This record gives sequence, structure tokens and C-alpha cells, in this order.
Amino acid sequence: MVLLPCPHCGPRDAAEFGYVGERAARPDPGAATPQQWRGYLYLRRNPAGWADELWLHRAGCGRYLAMSRHTVTGDIRAVRDAATGGAD
Amino acid sequence: MRLDGQPGEVIHRGTPLTFTWNGRPYPAFAGDTIGSALAAAGERVFSRSLKYHRPRGLLTADGNDPGCLVQVDGEPNVRGAHRRVSAGMAVTAQGVWPSLRFDLKALNRLAGPALSTGFYYKTFIRPRRLWPYYERVLRRFSPGGRVPSPSSPAGRYEHRYAHPDVLVAGGGPAGMAAALAAAEAGARVMLVDDQPALGGHLRWGGPDGLAALAQLRAAVAAAGGIEVLTDSVVTGQYEGGLVAVVQHGLPGLTERLVKARPRQLVAAAGLIERPYVIAGNDLPGVMLSTAVRRLINLYAVRPGARAVVFTANDDGTAAAADLARAGVDVRRVVDARDGGDIVRVRGRGGVRAVECGDGSVVRCDLLVTAVGWTAPTGLLTMTGGRAAYRAGAARFVPTELPDGVLATGGLVGDGTLAELIGHGRAVGQAAARRAGRTAPASPVPDLVPAPHPELFAGRTNGFVDFTEDVSTKDLAAAVAEGYDSIELVKRYTTATMGPTQGKLEAVNTIAVVAAATGRGIPETGTTTARPPYAPVSLGALAGRNYQPVRRSPMHDWHVAHGATPLVAGAWIRPDHYGDPAGEVRAVRQGVGIIDVTPLGKFELRGPHIPDLLELLYVNRWRKLAVGAVRYGVMCTEDGVVFDDGVTGRLGEHRYLLTATSSGAEAVGEWLERWLQTERAHWRVHVVPMTDAYASINVAGPRSRELVRRLTTGIDLSPEAFPYMRVRLGEVAGVPDCVVWRIGFTGELSYELHVPAGNGLRVWEALLATGVDLGVRPFGVEAQRILRLEKGHLVVGQDTDGLTQAYSAGLDWAIKMDKDDFVGKPELAWQRVRDGQVVLVGLQPADPELVPPESSQLVEGDRRIVGRITSSRFSPTLDRSIALGFVAPDLAEPGTVVTMLLPDGRRLPARVMPQLAHVDPEGKRLHG
Amino acid sequence: MKLRRSLPRPARYSGFGLLRHALGGAPWPPVWRRHDLRDRYDVVVIGGGVHGLATAYYLAANHGVNNVAVLERGYLGGGASGRNTAIIRSNYLTPEGVAFYHRSVRLYESLAADLNFNVMFSQRGHLTLAHTDSALRTMRWRAEVNKLQGVDSSLVGRSEIGSLVPHLDVSDRPRFPILGGLWHPPGGIVRHDAVVWGYARGADAAGVHLHQDTEVVGIDVTGGRVQGVRTNRGRIAAPAVVACTAGWASTVCDLAGVALPITTFPLQAAVTEPVRPFLDTVVVSGTRHVYVSQTDRGELVFGAAVDPFPSYSSRGSLEFTEGVAAHVLELMPALAPVRILRQWAGLCDMTPDFSPVMGPTPVEGFYVDVGWGTYGFKAGPVAGETMASLVATGKTPDLIAPFDLARFTDGRLVGERGAAAVGH
Repeated sequence: MVLLPCPHCGPRDAAEFGYVGERAARPDPGAATPQQWRGYLYLRRNPAGWADELWLHRAGCGRYLAMSRHTVTGDIRAVRDAATGGAD
Repeated sequence: MRLDGQPGEVIHRGTPLTFTWNGRPYPAFAGDTIGSALAAAGERVFSRSLKYHRPRGLLTADGNDPGCLVQVDGEPNVRGAHRRVSAGMAVTAQGVWPSLRFDLKALNRLAGPALSTGFYYKTFIRPRRLWPYYERVLRRFSPGGRVPSPSSPAGRYEHRYAHPDVLVAGGGPAGMAAALAAAEAGARVMLVDDQPALGGHLRWGGPDGLAALAQLRAAVAAAGGIEVLTDSVVTGQYEGGLVAVVQHGLPGLTERLVKARPRQLVAAAGLIERPYVIAGNDLPGVMLSTAVRRLINLYAVRPGARAVVFTANDDGTAAAADLARAGVDVRRVVDARDGGDIVRVRGRGGVRAVECGDGSVVRCDLLVTAVGWTAPTGLLTMTGGRAAYRAGAARFVPTELPDGVLATGGLVGDGTLAELIGHGRAVGQAAARRAGRTAPASPVPDLVPAPHPELFAGRTNGFVDFTEDVSTKDLAAAVAEGYDSIELVKRYTTATMGPTQGKLEAVNTIAVVAAATGRGIPETGTTTARPPYAPVSLGALAGRNYQPVRRSPMHDWHVAHGATPLVAGAWIRPDHYGDPAGEVRAVRQGVGIIDVTPLGKFELRGPHIPDLLELLYVNRWRKLAVGAVRYGVMCTEDGVVFDDGVTGRLGEHRYLLTATSSGAEAVGEWLERWLQTERAHWRVHVVPMTDAYASINVAGPRSRELVRRLTTGIDLSPEAFPYMRVRLGEVAGVPDCVVWRIGFTGELSYELHVPAGNGLRVWEALLATGVDLGVRPFGVEAQRILRLEKGHLVVGQDTDGLTQAYSAGLDWAIKMDKDDFVGKPELAWQRVRDGQVVLVGLQPADPELVPPESSQLVEGDRRIVGRITSSRFSPTLDRSIALGFVAPDLAEPGTVVTMLLPDGRRLPARVMPQLAHVDPEGKRLHG
Repeated sequence: MKLRRSLPRPARYSGFGLLRHALGGAPWPPVWRRHDLRDRYDVVVIGGGVHGLATAYYLAANHGVNNVAVLERGYLGGGASGRNTAIIRSNYLTPEGVAFYHRSVRLYESLAADLNFNVMFSQRGHLTLAHTDSALRTMRWRAEVNKLQGVDSSLVGRSEIGSLVPHLDVSDRPRFPILGGLWHPPGGIVRHDAVVWGYARGADAAGVHLHQDTEVVGIDVTGGRVQGVRTNRGRIAAPAVVACTAGWASTVCDLAGVALPITTFPLQAAVTEPVRPFLDTVVVSGTRHVYVSQTDRGELVFGAAVDPFPSYSSRGSLEFTEGVAAHVLELMPALAPVRILRQWAGLCDMTPDFSPVMGPTPVEGFYVDVGWGTYGFKAGPVAGETMASLVATGKTPDLIAPFDLARFTDGRLVGERGAAAVGH
């Protein structure tokens, strides 16, 4: 039972959260080629290291969170509310 | 044989009791373990080994004893040398046939050499058809007890959460001292020990130990803030510092799993004594020094008559003294420190003699060995700690502790009692400090492992793993065959994979493999320790079975009126009230009402709602007027249909959006996701309202009349309130209701969203008011028939995980001229792609035949060209109807396709001009 | 379709051989040997699990290509091949999936004889339970597609389920009662390590070099063509490189600059202490997220869905065993006193459509056999056979054509997702 830091609620059990996916910029739907669009849909960096991810604090504040998480150690070096923008 | 009273004995001689062993009654005292009671009664054989069915007796006389796994009533694999005996307990030996004494499976021994390790990989290969028979025989030799019969009563298990400052795992002297020091600093401490009482090795260690123990116990009892959990075992430490403890022996409870999140864990698990690997080392009568000391001092059991003691340390010497005191004839003490050795144990069914290194043979019925210790570092290494081999001490010791963990006692090193207590105190203080309490910052004194000779395996072939029947020779053979890393040896021979989890055998296994490979113990390394640290029952892990159920406010009414329940995800819904076809006819001819509370409902507020709807639905929303309603379809970014529902505009900046019952949660998250991530500057509030409203659909040609009788403040005339409109008003005296004119059933119908607390009142009012209109309730099954008659698709049934919107017959809804909507690029490409399947209405040629859903449509022998997604018998049309996917070349109305039914019949069906089978023009809806 | 060449054989395994060795005391020869790294191989296979070893074995056995190296970072079979729950079945949902796994089951059936190594394939039947109408509908769909492909698979009702597995609670008492099931008699379990060792032994005998403790740290690509690999033991030139690296697929393919539609999730499993045989079939409940089988040694092996978020850590969690225990006891309440002995995790390379990624990549000579998610072990033999054929002949076998990497850019996903949620 890993604890994840929620910027609104504090450290909470990971079971309260939902993993949404890697964060990726949505291509311009009017201009994207099939290749670009499907890269966005399907291709993943899937790093063994730091990953930029989108999570939902489902059983908490209900906010989407942008999280920088290490996929080997489980460490989290940055987390913020996804709506607040920030350095991507 | 039972001895006279011992100073530290834990048996209660005033409470004799009787239990049975293999059907025969045996005496015991309260406080006895199953093993001690049987040993006191003179029994020496408690089990048969896995492969060769060799008789096995007590070896360690504690929970790790590989020879004393027994069946207790319905419970398999009970640690008989740990479990307290109780009156009437039925204990039996496991896996023997016909009996423990005379076990025919022991004939395996004759084939012994051929049953070398991994033998099953090398034989039973041909002929292939015989393998199932060989396998059946192999399975018969599987060890272990019997699971309870399906009908046997379940035990009671529960979970508890705890947040102590410090959790001390192990209640020996160092653990008790650590707990005391932490508690003195104000820390809340949980002290856990697997024995029925605190004390560790002091309990059986002699008079000095007992005196010190009494003092420590008194101090623990007097200290505030120490919760003592005896007969409890720490079964693992997990990520995030979570510690699992299983508590036994609680009144009225089989087991309890304590999920503790201590700020600090102090590991004080002590040491485990290692067996010596020589020929005959598994004979009943071969015991470890700690085993005989437990038997004598705790249970007043004389473990044998004539003993040989082989020792490499002071504990063996102390065991010899205990034996002598207990009246055992100690024939010889062979001391490895003086160059002594033993080579072989002779006997059959029990120890008869020991062959010493000097060639002498000493007759005896008991061999006691004291050849060294294993520090149980698994609890530390399974969460990221490290351990390394110290050759001078002949054991692995922790070298790196995981975050939040400290260690003390034998796990760390050896010392006098005072040294152990001093170390424990300093570690306890450090733990309290780390947990945020104020404690003296006294330095932690050194506690180093004492020098010890490296004694693992002797010159002869003996058992390394007792529960798996793996010998020195087996390990060497595995290495010679190329399985030369410790993990491969483990997997090939199964050494350390049995019920003792390697606690007893791992280090000997490593030592033997190291010798066989010539690589040395440090280079050989250890196998990965994996949780749980001690076996945990499924019952304890599961705890009590809590599963949430969602019910509408009208649920009890449905039950009282004979509804058949339908489990629909978290909801329990009325499937029907006995006659779904009759319910359908009532709706088509008069009026029916259905409880649709699980329908997903979201109230939206804010100025950017039209932008949101335009983005998330494939169709258009910008011009939706106040009071108007529209059906919408949502796709995901890959163009696959995700959900559908109607949305109505209740006010300038107020909308009510509905989603499917099963999709409600996902839709809520989807709305928030776009609002919070991609369009954070839009001002829209989404409030989930699913449970806030009870929802009732009133359907049928007479629904207007029924609703009119109960509604105030809403003009229900078709002109004022046409199809696809929504109104706010009062129903049956309940204010703040939302009334929709929509029609999933294909009939004139009104959907009422009533504040949940008044749901039942409105439901009953509708039934009472509509008696003369023939109103009756209908369930989910009737609704499914009605919607299929009307050709309305159900997302997830008439679509699947790859169905893009153009395949679902939704062309009319998709507005490709919008700048953007979720899924637009993929749908743009789908529109111009060939070969896409299409959803169509289908009618079997035989009107009586209802093709089971998922029947395939085929061409030729086995080419799949479509499938039935929904099918029912239509009471309205008096014939079978269906929806299904077909290949594009078969979508033309009138095409006859071939259905392959599960029973193998191939029957024709006709493609219909539209999805709707009943009222395709929609006259009823608009009426 | 294949040319079986005669191979140099290691000492034959047989009951007679066992006796001879037992009486004569002569040791068995090693199952495989250690070699120095060559400068150049015709084919380098990255990953010494069942996929990599089978690919190497069939390259030699079926195509006579034996200047082949298998590079394994740890020990043979130490990754997902040694961490899965060893369930074999072919009752998939899509015709592509069914045909592919059907071939795999066939190969498993003859594997012990082909490899002269008893892999203990136990075709005891595979039962998937349905607790909802929609699950029943999907199962009927699977059964119908299966039957059309010649796979034995059918829907069964409660009473039949009760007689197949008497310990299952088929009453209405559970929160999610069992409504029916999909019964697949040829499904079963296999001894996973034996499959790995059998292929390794066969490959070694055919001249393949198996290099353990050999980690690939770079893949050399020039002009869009693979040139070889760099390892912790040195550089190897090779005109063909095959990645069979399961959970580590993304990191290995990244070395060649090939992007994948893959996310790595841990999949946990647990095993109990042995109990007397009482469970003759594999039991799966997708709705309750659990599957159970009993080994020949008597242990119950439990698995579940992949962990809820990606990770490269193979540490076990308490909530996994809590969840498995709760769900197993819903299905079989009498098992409460049975104890879990060990839990572990492996890494799964999940794809968006729950189907593998097999075939060529944009880098010429660099092939992938990845995206195996939770169903890789089942496919080991057929994946090896088809990948070997592809690498040796340059032609993509029909069986794996639907699983190419390009399907993701062309929008041709395979519809296996519907059945595979916990489709063990």
C-alpha cells in the first residue's frame, strides 16, 4: 500500500487513486496525419525511470494530478493539480 | 516421557485434557503443543516425507518444524510443534496410506536412486497418451493436508488497522528492551511475538534467564503504551512501511490481520538454529539443541533415553546439561571446536546409533546438534534491505536496513543478556526519536556476531531440505547438470520452496551449492526473499467480506411485489415481476412504470457547457434551447463508441446530462478529465446526481394521462410539451422534479427525476392513481425487449471495444463539420474506409426461433461475417427479432444471412431496412 | 510447413535412462554449456525466456540456422517465463487469436516428445466463470468462434460447474452468483521452468550459444539497418536481432529507436502450501479478478489482473494477496484455512488491443516479439516457431500477420480486448 502525495489531501493510500496514463500533448485534430494521431493514441514512452503521468484522486478530491513518478523505485518528485498548468 | 515440574514450564498440570491422534485418544495438559503432548506420550513419528515417505519426527520443536505438519480437524498443514492442543481436537497425520505407521508409499524408497531430483522431467515422456495416468499417480504423492469439505462451517476472520509509533517484531530480551525504551520516551508501541508469552530464548534458557524474564515482563506490563500481541506473527513488511501481523488465539475469532503502519519497525526476530546435513539426519530422534531445551524446559518432556550431543557452541553444551538434568544418559558430547565430527546417523524409523568422525559408533536414541544459527534476514531483504555472509560467524547478517527499519537482538549479533538488553534499549530509543518522540540520544552499542565454525554439511549425503526431500546429492547433481546458479538450483530441486519457506534450509542449500560449484558462499548469493515472511491463511487475508450494494429508494417495494432481482454491477434491480411479456404489452397498450434510478445523471452549471458538449459528443449542441433535450453519443479518441444518453437544458447555464447506468462513473471522470486537463479555462461545474434523484420512466400510450393527474405547474399538452423536451415542476406534491419527454421504449413516455427521498412516494402515487389506466410496473427485461423492438442500441452490447461510431449506425448523429470533437480524426478516416461492419436489424425466417445472443453469422463452412448482438421474442410483433453486425456487403435490406446457432443449426435471417422493428416512423413516440 | 532436420541429441531422457544412471551412478551431462562470446552471430536473440529460447531452438531445428546467440541479462527463465501461472489455453475471442493459440496448444501437446524433456503439460480443462449477463454473452461469443476454428469450447451451466469443481459455491448466496461458464477441455497447466529448460537444452544441443549474465546495453543501427548489439561482455555483429524481452520491451527497443504501443505493468501471483488434490481444472473468474489452479505438487497457484498502475518493480503487495484471498473465498469459501506461502510479480508488456506485436520494425533486420501482456507463456512455442520462420525466410507467416507493429499506425487493431480483461 504505497502512499501517494495529493497536493490537496496530503499523502493517501494509492488505492484511492486511478492511474490514467502517460501525459501527452493532443495533436491538432484538424492537421494531424494518421501517423501522428495514432502515435498520440497508442505509442508510449514507458520509461524505466521518471515518467510524466496523469492520475485521478478518485476516492479523494476528485482532481486530476500531473505526477512525475519513478517507475522503478516508486519515488515521486513532483505532483500538481493538472488544471494549474506548470512547466511541462 | 513427562518430567517432574520444571521451573519454566508452560504446561498447566491442573488442566489435563484429551485429544485424538489418528483416531486414538491422547492425554495432554493445557499449554502443551500438539508435538509436546505426543512426545510426552512417547510418540516419535509425526509425518512422512514428501518423496520417499520417510518417517519424520520433531526436529526443531517450534513453528518451523518440518516433521510436524499435521491435519487438525478441517485445517491442513498445521504446525503441530507450535499449535496449542485443545480438548477434543482431532489431529491426524497427513498424506499417509494406509497409516502413519505402515505407509505403503514408503515403497518409493526402493526406487529411491531413480527418483533423483527432477526425475519427472526425464521420464513419462512417451507414449504421450499415458502421461495423464502417470500424472494422476504423481499427484497422489503430493504432500499436505486436506482442505475442508465445501459444506464445512467457515471460521471468523477480521481486519484491524493500527498506527503505532514503533512496532517491535519479536518479544525476546532485545525486543522487550526496545519496546520498553521506546515506551519510556512516550512512543506508542506494538510488541509482537509468535509464542503465547514474551521472552524468546529466555523462556527455556535456565534459571538466570527466567529471573531476568520475570523482571522484563513485569516492566512491560507496568509500562504504559505497550500493546503486546502474543501468538501473533509479523508476516511481512510492504512498500509504504505497511506491516502485516496475523493474530491467533483471540476469543471468538479464528484469526485477525492487523494492518499496521508504524513510523518505525524494529526487527528483533532472534536466530533460527540450523540442522546439520549428514546421512540419517532426518531420522526421528535427531533434534536441534533448541528443540530439546524447549521440550525439557517448557513442556517437561524427556526427549530420549540415551543421547549424543554434537556441538559447535555453548548452546549445545547447555543442551547437554539440560539433558543430563532431565535424566537422559548423555553418552557422548562431540565438540566441533575441539575437532570432533559426526559422520552418519544410523537407524531405521528412529535413531539407533551415531557414527563419529573418529570412527567410533555410539548407540543412542537421540542425536542433538548445535552447529550454528541463521539470522532470519528475509523480513529486511524483502523490502530493500541487504544481508551479507560473515564467514567468521558462519551466518548472513543484515548490512543495510530499509528505510524506517531498525534491528536488534540475535538478528544483529550475539552478546550477553546485558549486552542484548543494552542494544535493544538503544535501538528502542532511536526508534522513538525517529518516530518524533524525545528520547536520550545514547549511541547504539556494537553487537557483533560471535565467532562460529562453518558447519553446514558433513561428509555424507544428508537431507538439506526436509519438507522437499532434497539431499546433498540432489543439489550436487543439479549443479552438475548445469543448473548452476542458486535460483536455477532452487527451481530445479525445489529446495527451500516448501512450507518452512527456507528459514531452516536456505543457508545449508547455499553452502552445499557453493561447495558443488566451488564458488564460495558470498559469490553463490541468496535467493530472493519474498513475502509473506510467514504463511498467512486466505481467511485472514480476506477478512470479513464487505461488498457494497446500491439500491434505489423503491427497492423494498420491488422485493415486496415479487420482483426477480438482477445483479447489475453494484446495483440490484428488478429484472421482472413474473411476466416480462405481459409487462411489455402493458406498456405498448396502456401504461407501465419502471425504476431507472441507476441511470447516470450529472447536473452541469456554467457558461461553457455548450463548448463541453460540442467537444465530448459527436453531434451538435450549440443551439439547444432552454427546455430542449437531445440524444448524444460519446466516443473516445479512437472513435470507438463510449457512452450515450440524453441531455436537457434546464436553464441558461444549467443542464442535466444522463449516461448509461454502467457507464455513469466513467462518464463523470471523462467530463472532469477534459475540464481539468485539456480545457481548464472553461467554467463548468459537474455535480453527480445519480443517487440524488429517484428516476421513474412512465411509458405507454396512456402515460400522458397518468402523469397529468399527478403533475402541477407543467402543461403536458403535446403542443406545449412535445417529444424531446424537459420541464421542471411538482409531481405528486413533490417539488423540484425534472420531467423529460423521451422514449427509450419507443412509446410516448415521461421520465421523472424525483428527489430521492420522495421516490417511493411518487412511485406509489403513480400506481395508485393509474389503476383505471391499467398501470403496472415493468422490469429491466421488459425494457430490454421494448428497446430492441424500437431498435435502440445498448452501448457495450450492440457495440464492442472496437466499434467505431459509423459501424453502430450512428451516421446521422456525427457532425463532421464541427471544428473538433473527441474521436473526430478517427471517424473521418473510418468514413472513407472500406470493409467496415454495420449494425442492422435482423429477423429470423422462423418467427419462433430466438437465436441466442452471440450466435455467429457465417458464410460457407466457417467464415464469420457477423454476429447477433441482441435478440428477443417480441410480444408486440409475435415473432423473434434481433440486432447484429454484418459485413458491409450483407447490409442491404432483404439480404438473407445464415445464423450458426450454438447447437450447430444453420438457419436463415433477413436483414431489415432499419434497426427498429416496431414503429420505425416513430409515431408512438411523437404521439 | 516445416522441415525438421536431424539434430545432434544430448543424452536421451527416459525411465530406462533414469534407472541406468541411478544404478551406474554416472552423472547426467549438462543441459547446456557456457561459451565465450563470438564476434558475430547470424542471429542475436535478446531475452532468455521461453520466447527467445524457442525462437533460437526453431531457427536451428526447423531452418538449420544455428549460428545463433541468446542473450540473457540474468539467468535463463528468470523473467516472466518463471513468474507466470503457466496456464495454457486457446479459447480466445478473435479468429486471429484462436488460430494462433490453437497452434500453440498443439505444439505444447507434442513438446515433451519433441524436446525429450517432460514439460508436464496437464490438459485438465480450463473453466472461466461468468457472474453477469454480459460475461455470459462474451463467453458464448468466444465459444462460437472457438468451435468454428476447431477448438473444444462450450458454455456450461451451474450444475455442470458444480460437478466439475465441487468446492465452487454455485448457489445464489454470493454477492455475484455464478451464472455459467466457458468450459475448454484442452486447456490446462504446464511446468513453466521445464519448458524453458527443455528449449534451452534443445537449442544448446543444436549449437545455439546461450549467454547468461549478458546484458544488451546498445543496439547498433546505421542507415536504417541493424548492425549488431553491444553487451556488458562486448560487441556482437549480427544482421538479424530479435527482441523477446516482454516487460522490458520498451527499454530494449528504445536502444534501436523503435517506439512501441506498450506499457509495463506488474502482474502478481501467489502460491499456497500444498494440499491434497481437490481441484482438477483451472478456474478463472474475470468478474472477480482471480484465477486458480492446483499443481501436481498440491499447491494452489493464484493470479489476478495486472496491478492498477505501471511499474518496473517486481515487489509483491499486501493488497494483492488480500484481494486474491477475498475473491477466492467468494468462489470457494472452504479454502479459508489454506495458507499463502509465497507471492511474487512479473512484468507484463501490455498493448492497447491485448494482442502481441510480432514481426519486422522500421529498422531493417530488427524484429520484435513483444507486447505479450499476460498471455505470453501460452504462446511461447508458436511465437518461437513463427518468429524463427520470419527471421530465416524473411516472409511473415500468416498466423502472425495480424499482429504486426504497423497495425497501430494503420488502425487495424485486433479485438481481443473484450475477452482478455482477466482472460487467463
